[in-house]
Amino acid sequence: MLLSKKEISILIEIVYSIVFALIFLPYFYENQEKNLILMDGLVEKIIQIIICTVIYFAIAYSVLEVAFKKKETRDERDDMINSKSYKLGYLLYEFSLFIFIGYVCSKFQNKELLNLTGNIELYSSFQLTDAGIIFIVLVLLAFISVIKSIYQFYLYRTV
Amino acid sequence: MILKNNLKEVRQNKGLTQEELGANVGVSRQTIISIERYRYKPTLELAMKLAEKLNIKIEKLFYFEQE
Repeated sequence: MLLSKKEISILIEIVYSIVFALIFLPYFYENQEKNLILMDGLVEKIIQIIICTVIYFAIAYSVLEVAFKKKETRDERDDMINSKSYKLGYLLYEFSLFIFIGYVCSKFQNKELLNLTGNIELYSSFQLTDAGIIFIVLVLLAFISVIKSIYQFYLYRTV
Repeated sequence: MILKNNLKEVRQNKGLTQEELGANVGVSRQTIISIERYRYKPTLELAMKLAEKLNIKIEKLFYFEQE
């Protein structure tokens, strides 16, 4: 299967999203019970993410440029494929955000109901921290990014 | 009705490669391949550019076919 430069750059994005999810999301998962201010090494983790991202894309695109010296024309087909895939990503993001807001609202509502019953243990388990919210948003973003890129790759292969 | 085209035959008759034709009208080789395989319907602007470069009337290059 011969791949074009554009298709390989999409694969680079897919790999990045998956690797990012596998390496960095566990940290946010482990700390989701805490508030941001109490998270150990948050600043270091953010700096680590930024440095790793820059190094990864710098190496990946440099190798790609060396392998495909010829410049590929960007045309209306690329615009059509990009608009279709970004539209899917946008719709997924909008839908998941809608579900997420519903989840947060129901959690707060349940928490208030539990407060009335006086069950402290259950009341505490319904705690939604800012780190927990960040974790869910990051999972959604990584998931949507992978879906969007896979769809984009599929369109490049079939259109 | 399906939009079809004679792009492949006309291009081959003119002795042009997909790469050359793409470069002449400012699109990639993949776009020319997609048009020739009826996977991608070009915009009116690109269709007119292709017809002009191949020196053929647009209605001869692109036509509708009953399903």
